[in-house]
Amino acid sequence: MKGEIVHDGDIISFTGRFNIADMREVTSSLEGITASETILNFTNCKSIDASIAARIWSVSEAKKRKGISLLCQSMNTDIQKTFARFRAIDNRSIAPAPKRTLLYNFEDIGDRVLATWDTVSGLLSFTAQAFRALFSGKVRGPITAYYMEQSGVMAVPIVIALNWLMGVVLGYQAGYQMKQFGGELFMPALLAYSICWEIGPMMTAVLVAGRSGSAFAAEIGTMKVRQEIDALEVMGFNLYGYVVTPKMIALLIVMPLLVTVANFAGMAGGLAAGGFFLKMPSAVYIAEVRKALIPFDLYWGVVKSFFYSTIISVTGSYMGMRVRGGPAAVGKATTSAVVVSIFLVILVDALLSLVFVHLRPGLSL
Amino acid sequence: MTEKIIQIESLTGGYDGSVVLQNVSMDVFKGEVLVIVGRSGCGKSTITRYMVGLQKPYSGRILFDGIDIWSSSKALDSARRRWGVLFQSGALLGNYTVIENVMLPLKEFTNLNRVEMMDVALSKLEVVGMEHAAFENPLEISGGMQKRAGLARAMVLDPEVLFFDEPSAGLDPVTSAELDETILSVNRSLGTTLVIVTHELPSIFAISDRVIMLDPDEQGIIATGSARDLADNSEDPRVRAFFGRKIGE
Repeated sequence: MKGEIVHDGDIISFTGRFNIADMREVTSSLEGITASETILNFTNCKSIDASIAARIWSVSEAKKRKGISLLCQSMNTDIQKTFARFRAIDNRSIAPAPKRTLLYNFEDIGDRVLATWDTVSGLLSFTAQAFRALFSGKVRGPITAYYMEQSGVMAVPIVIALNWLMGVVLGYQAGYQMKQFGGELFMPALLAYSICWEIGPMMTAVLVAGRSGSAFAAEIGTMKVRQEIDALEVMGFNLYGYVVTPKMIALLIVMPLLVTVANFAGMAGGLAAGGFFLKMPSAVYIAEVRKALIPFDLYWGVVKSFFYSTIISVTGSYMGMRVRGGPAAVGKATTSAVVVSIFLVILVDALLSLVFVHLRPGLSL
Repeated sequence: MTEKIIQIESLTGGYDGSVVLQNVSMDVFKGEVLVIVGRSGCGKSTITRYMVGLQKPYSGRILFDGIDIWSSSKALDSARRRWGVLFQSGALLGNYTVIENVMLPLKEFTNLNRVEMMDVALSKLEVVGMEHAAFENPLEISGGMQKRAGLARAMVLDPEVLFFDEPSAGLDPVTSAELDETILSVNRSLGTTLVIVTHELPSIFAISDRVIMLDPDEQGIIATGSARDLADNSEDPRVRAFFGRKIGE
């Protein structure tokens, strides 16, 4: 018996057997519903196939978002089983989605705050465990060397290129402004301070977060999906010691070196800008830089890099470890690793700046 | 076969607060081949995750050789040295060769030198018929070979208990039967206790000493016994439906 749909006010009755051939009729019947509550009566319905159940489910979900609820009634066991595959529908009702009332918005904000707190507390606990493993476990030389090569050696060209360009841009812009007042001789000092105090360490951290932090998250996330992390855990490996610490040690070693390289590349960019745009002799530029900088300025970048390398390695690893599900979750973890790392790097940089003005000799507010 | 190696007492657990297993109690006896069966979503893999200490139950205890594995980190660590697990995918580390994967536990938990470790690893690979692929990348060998290599790694420290999560999943019937034979030979030759999660009827009949059947509606065990006994004599319609399938369904 072919399926037949009868409309009677706010009740829509399904009679007979429904299959894919009835799809258009079912769709037009359901999409025309405008009443806030409509009953779908299945008393005389013998069966529906999965495609019809899926259609009813998807239309009802769309209606639900508009505050229209569909109530399914009197389904036989077979129909219930078919609908059970689409969990939102049962023999009682399809509840409308909560309207965005003021209370709902507060709840939404509360949920987000709790989720953020969950991430922050998880990250702090993870960091503590990583440090514990760092100081108690053995150093895994070959793996650490591998990550040093990947995160350090391979990053040198891009770190040099980017910081050199930053130096050129800063040198040109600072020199151009200062030249109007006859103060272009101050450009080397300004540039050296900017590069060593902020730009060099920060640009390096952003680059390493993008290259290595994301790679750590993707690698560990994939290991989670492939059950490799579970396998290591049941074999009795200390996951922090085996998976996280080599990455942490590698970055702790290579980041200070990268920052130092970045600082010199940035200042070399300034030298080029000075020579090309301001016709400043190299000897003058170098002499001015040497006059301005003290060793503390170079050490400060190294100090910062220890904080940044910890943030990037731990955040990348943590986001990878949080992966649950399939490959899509790995992509999300990678994005989160980069975003959270860069945010934390800038946050810590701001805090360190407050300390810096008190520590650097010859600098006072 | 009356000495208990694993005891599960009133275990309740699941994922993210939802309950999959409710108040489940069961024992695993030394030397037996225990097969855990049931419909999808009944908690077969979940109960294995609890037994190997990958998840902490909401309530209840898991005793390994009489010691609660969650009583201290030391208890869990020492239990982990005494079992091996073969995951559904084989779970070999993709950045190591097959033999390096098998050597991993040896590097971590023994004082053997590299040559000794390679000998041990090769001997285990030989047991599972994988010595010819020792230096292959695990991601470049077939699923069946990955599982065999995973089995070699799981048994490299000569564990007392081996857990298998759906070892036949994704394998053709011939490869699956070969893997069953390998698994069974480990039990028969070394006396290793085996806990296997599967829903492959031929495997269940071929290798099990005892079968435990879980049900998602009951959130626990609905039948225990030998496969043949459950298939022939159970009056529970769910058990009859499961064992009444034609092989290959």
